[in-house]
Amino acid sequence: MNIMTPKRVIYITIIAFLYTSCDKAIFKKNQASTDPIENFEYLWTQCNQKYSFFDVKQIDWDAVKLKYASKVYKGMSNDSLFNVMGAMLNELRDDHTNLISYFNVSAYKGHLNAPDNFDWRIVVDNYITNNYYKSGPFAHNFIDGGAIGYIRFPEFTGTVDNKNLDFVLSKYKDTKGLIVDLRENGGGAAPDVFNILSRFVETKTLVYYSRIKNGPGHNDFSEPEPAFVEPYNGVRYNKKTVFLVDRGTYSAGSFTSLATKAIDNIVLIGDTTGGGLGLPNGGQLPNGWTYRFSITQALTLDKKPDFENGVPPDILATFDWSNLKKDKILDRAILELQ
Amino acid sequence: MIYQKNYMQHFAPIGLFLLTIIPFRHSFGQTIIRQSKKQSRMEKSAYVCLGLASNSSKFRDFATSPLNYNGNLTHLSISRLKQNNNKEFELGLSYDFGKMNVNINDQITSSSVKKLDVFYTKLMRFNKLSFNGYITKVGFEVKSTGIIRSNPSLQNNSSGIDIFTNILGVAKFTRDISRKTTKAKKLLFIKYRLNERNRDIALRLNLGLINSNARNGFAYTGQGQIINAAKSFDNYKFNIFSGVRLGSQINYTSYLKNKNAVQLSYIWDAYSTKGFDKFQMANHAIKIALLFNTNNK
Repeated sequence: MNIMTPKRVIYITIIAFLYTSCDKAIFKKNQASTDPIENFEYLWTQCNQKYSFFDVKQIDWDAVKLKYASKVYKGMSNDSLFNVMGAMLNELRDDHTNLISYFNVSAYKGHLNAPDNFDWRIVVDNYITNNYYKSGPFAHNFIDGGAIGYIRFPEFTGTVDNKNLDFVLSKYKDTKGLIVDLRENGGGAAPDVFNILSRFVETKTLVYYSRIKNGPGHNDFSEPEPAFVEPYNGVRYNKKTVFLVDRGTYSAGSFTSLATKAIDNIVLIGDTTGGGLGLPNGGQLPNGWTYRFSITQALTLDKKPDFENGVPPDILATFDWSNLKKDKILDRAILELQ
Repeated sequence: MIYQKNYMQHFAPIGLFLLTIIPFRHSFGQTIIRQSKKQSRMEKSAYVCLGLASNSSKFRDFATSPLNYNGNLTHLSISRLKQNNNKEFELGLSYDFGKMNVNINDQITSSSVKKLDVFYTKLMRFNKLSFNGYITKVGFEVKSTGIIRSNPSLQNNSSGIDIFTNILGVAKFTRDISRKTTKAKKLLFIKYRLNERNRDIALRLNLGLINSNARNGFAYTGQGQIINAAKSFDNYKFNIFSGVRLGSQINYTSYLKNKNAVQLSYIWDAYSTKGFDKFQMANHAIKIALLFNTNNK
């Protein structure tokens, strides 16, 4: 008996092409959309499920939705929609939170709500002179008659390497102290944090904890995981060191500041940092714009997230703009190292 | 609780696969021809297959974007194939690479994609469905697919790695369409000859029976870099008995006088994870492969 009759061959072929067209069985409805309401809802929902600081910052995200949803309507322009959604994200009070389009980037700019505490020109003209060294990302020179080393680190570029640090720390090995200036350092590559701090510890040191969102509830987090700094097997500096910070010290700068609380020979002087102790993610809206916001929490050694609003200095010091020949925060650090 | 186990998802694909066989209403048990191993080895043709394809592909990763990324990937493959009318074994790997884009709202966002597939297929003749030039083989394929994506516009979520490992049920229907004698033909006033040609056409269906995958966890990125413990597959989740994989393939194979062969194929391969923030991908490839005979059979 011939099993493979023409009808059955056709049957097989039809089944085969049904399978072949089953892209639709796997890919459901295309969600690309320029509809303002859909995009607003999408962004609000992503934040609601994955943002990590609602409770720490006491943000009522449902109330934020009510406030901004009324400003969104069909047919509104891209520019208007961007402004509404950007303003909604700014309610998170987090400079790790941005909405990005081809025509604009939203940002909270928290440091602009705080005093300005740094001017590089004043440091160069009155302290390190224009003969300062530039070793990788570090600008540095002797100050206080050669008794103290000053190191300016403006950004965590990810380019800190051992040769830079070996040169810098060897140059100042006979000083009575070091000043590392992190003012207006907006952060960057996290590995730089540990590369630098490893030169200031003599033993493996627990410096903070961190936990990450693992569910859509506002309090769905992983168990806190410890962050350790291990001593570098080479040139280290174990004398008293001052790290200068201000509200422009953010992200990796704040992580560094938080870590110094666990390192005995480091003192923080200046203003409270800007915060940014959450690692930001990245995502895309149905209309193609992209966004990011924080999805982790850094915790103190007693496992509290309190420093997200800023790591407080050990010694508060502020700038005096009436005398542009003096950097009073730097002067306070020099005094601390006498 | 985010992930809910549903063991029926494991058994449903097996049932669906069986539905394609049930209309023929013959048992499997007695229908597979048994041969001695030596006899079988001697009769199999062995090939090294080199393939090149254009793969029209799309993916969507809900963890980072609700948008479909589309593009043409270049596909390269190499495999070792042994086959005769009773058995078929193939072991090989393929590599796809290229850029995939989404174009919406006056802006284009791109993701580079690299995909590696490693596969092993074993098929046996199903004699009750093999008759009059039709050969049906059934069996399984073990396939593992790794996809690396890079999209800088997604900030810290710019890199994604997804791994699918599946055991698929396979049914392959081959029809010999050889021309046994030379034929003289005429088109308008042009006379031409169609020479003898050894060739076949095959249709192959794949259905994922045991599906598993590994991909980023809920937050997508891991926190290893901020706790001085950066590691590969940071915050990745491994999901067993989860996901879907389907595929089909149409091959036209023409065997040359020197025992080598040329094969033209259309290949469809699609897969998806289950649960929260799915990853989905579908590939449609037009492929040409050269089959180099290595045992002159």
